[in-house]
Amino acid sequence: MNDIDAQLGRIRGDVPPLAHNARSIAALTSNPGCARRAIMDAAGIDKPRLASYIGFPAPFGQSQFAITRGNAFEAQVKANGCAELLRLLREQLGLPIPEVSYDDLEEVGGQRSQLVRHTRTRSLLTRAVRAGGDAGTLFDHPLLRLEVGGRPVYLEPDLIAFQLGGRFHVVEIKSFAVIDGQADGDKVAAAAIQSAVYVLAMRDLLAELGTGPEAVADEVVLVCPENFSNRPVATLLDVRKQLTVLRRQLSRLARIDSLVGLQPPGLTFDLELDQAGAPHRAAAELADDVHAVPARYAPECLASCEMCFFCRDEASGLTAALGRAVADDLGAVHSVQMALGLADGTITPADDQAEAAALLREAARLRRECLGATA
Amino acid sequence: MLQRRIDELRTEVRRAAVDRDRARVRALRAELRTTEQAWEESLARLDEEQPASGSATTSHAPASMPSAGDGAAAVVDGAAAARGGGSLLPLREQVHQALTLLAAPAAPKLVSAVHEAFFTGLIPSVRLTSLRRDEERSFRSAPFARPYYVCAALTAELLAPARGVLAVSTWPLDRRVIGPLSPRVNYLSAAIRVAESYLRIPGPGPAAQRLLWRLAANIPGASGGARNMDPARVARAAQAELQIHAAGDLAARTAAAARARRQLDDPEQLFGSRLQLTRQAAAGSE
Repeated sequence: MNDIDAQLGRIRGDVPPLAHNARSIAALTSNPGCARRAIMDAAGIDKPRLASYIGFPAPFGQSQFAITRGNAFEAQVKANGCAELLRLLREQLGLPIPEVSYDDLEEVGGQRSQLVRHTRTRSLLTRAVRAGGDAGTLFDHPLLRLEVGGRPVYLEPDLIAFQLGGRFHVVEIKSFAVIDGQADGDKVAAAAIQSAVYVLAMRDLLAELGTGPEAVADEVVLVCPENFSNRPVATLLDVRKQLTVLRRQLSRLARIDSLVGLQPPGLTFDLELDQAGAPHRAAAELADDVHAVPARYAPECLASCEMCFFCRDEASGLTAALGRAVADDLGAVHSVQMALGLADGTITPADDQAEAAALLREAARLRRECLGATA
Repeated sequence: MLQRRIDELRTEVRRAAVDRDRARVRALRAELRTTEQAWEESLARLDEEQPASGSATTSHAPASMPSAGDGAAAVVDGAAAARGGGSLLPLREQVHQALTLLAAPAAPKLVSAVHEAFFTGLIPSVRLTSLRRDEERSFRSAPFARPYYVCAALTAELLAPARGVLAVSTWPLDRRVIGPLSPRVNYLSAAIRVAESYLRIPGPGPAAQRLLWRLAANIPGASGGARNMDPARVARAAQAELQIHAAGDLAARTAAAARARRQLDDPEQLFGSRLQLTRQAAAGSE
């Protein structure tokens, strides 16, 4: 492990690794086949900075409006000792009336240090586990810890873990609307995977206390505004699948050594910062090093990875840039040039391209028939 | 009286500006200016009569200005609005009024809503954030110089200031302590007090109605819908739930208050203790 740590350290250069958060851990699962992303995440590289240094800054991060809106909605749901949330939990999950205990963990004795908050979270949860149902129902902003790639990561869920029937439930408050019982599928998926990160961290913590994983429910409570109002509505979300994906992805991060072993020995993404923090490395040279690690670009990357514009530029002219569905249909035909060649018959297909080539020629014929001479 | 006329004039200026009726805009703005002048003068006279309340005018700028075609009109509007409106009482007294009505520690948002519902004018909650700090500074420089202070509620376990909750220094210490059950208990007792005040005042306004309805919505059995809301029923339902939590909450509060009296000095009893001390306090209590 030391060996691999040293290798990752060399790839990162002389800067401290970037800490993960729930969002970045969730993003790990979106493109598991991408070696470039896996190595960068494992080494804790500042991807936004790297991307902008080599000329492909990503207009990334949440919009300030979205953050403000999210915080306002969260504050509304949690106002006055989670009054609105209690109503939802009582109505929809049958939380008993006496269960109203509320502990604020966002600040401990005027301190916001992560260590203090984590210690306090631990001690409160320990007490809740030992004493059963009576010691604490709602925990506001607990600070959990999860091992990611051999390093502890503090996770600050914008959520509350509450106990119902002896099981902890994770509550995720999101500000996208559920309209007529339907919400944006992508957003729900993102929320589910983020909540799964919290469930995992919570289970880790309870495992340290000698409690089995069943103490944390597989279902998380998603609280969203209903229709076009600000009135919150709660739904149960099963995250078992996301948990499996996450676990697999995290164990893959732990086994990053095999992947690092495949890369060229001198590889480094070091920006060569000076004392003042200004980068000195030649951008072109750095870009070459980034090119050396294979990526697997798909248009979905634009929503989750800071390197997306660099990879898209690299992938231009390849069928992968057209989306996973197209790339899958074309099979072994990797570049757009080749696809066009196969379609008009100027390139003879290899054995593994024969099927795709037949389809392409058929499509070209249909196109000619439809468009006639103008095509 | 003058203020109402100013408001009317502003509306008309805006309307005329949207209609691009320049002549009318000019005439209206001239009238607006003279009316504002008169209003300023009357305000100055008021100030001379009561010099003590001079610094107290609360201002609230309108949240959104309709985008009038004439930019200058909007500027005049904003400047005038910044000067006027709101209660003449100092901020801390407005907060004190609202908290006294609630008789329980409350978050700035609730304080502001109560003030809007039962007193005059809105308290901008931005200004409430610095209030507690100002009060603490004032207390530390001259302890007990004022009849009351707007102070912090203390968390039961660490006796630290509870985040975003305001209280009044004249309350007994056990009312100012926040235990695990207290947020709910405070919420319910606030609902009861609001319902009682609602019954007491003649012709409660829409703000009071909205506040009571919002509080009632989260209490089981209290809300009969927005149309037919019965304050007595809200109070009864809140009382019923309160009875379930009251005993446990009281025990936790009294114990914590006793500990606070033993361990904290005067400023800390009002404004909470920070971490170094709380570590010892927590160790002593467990």
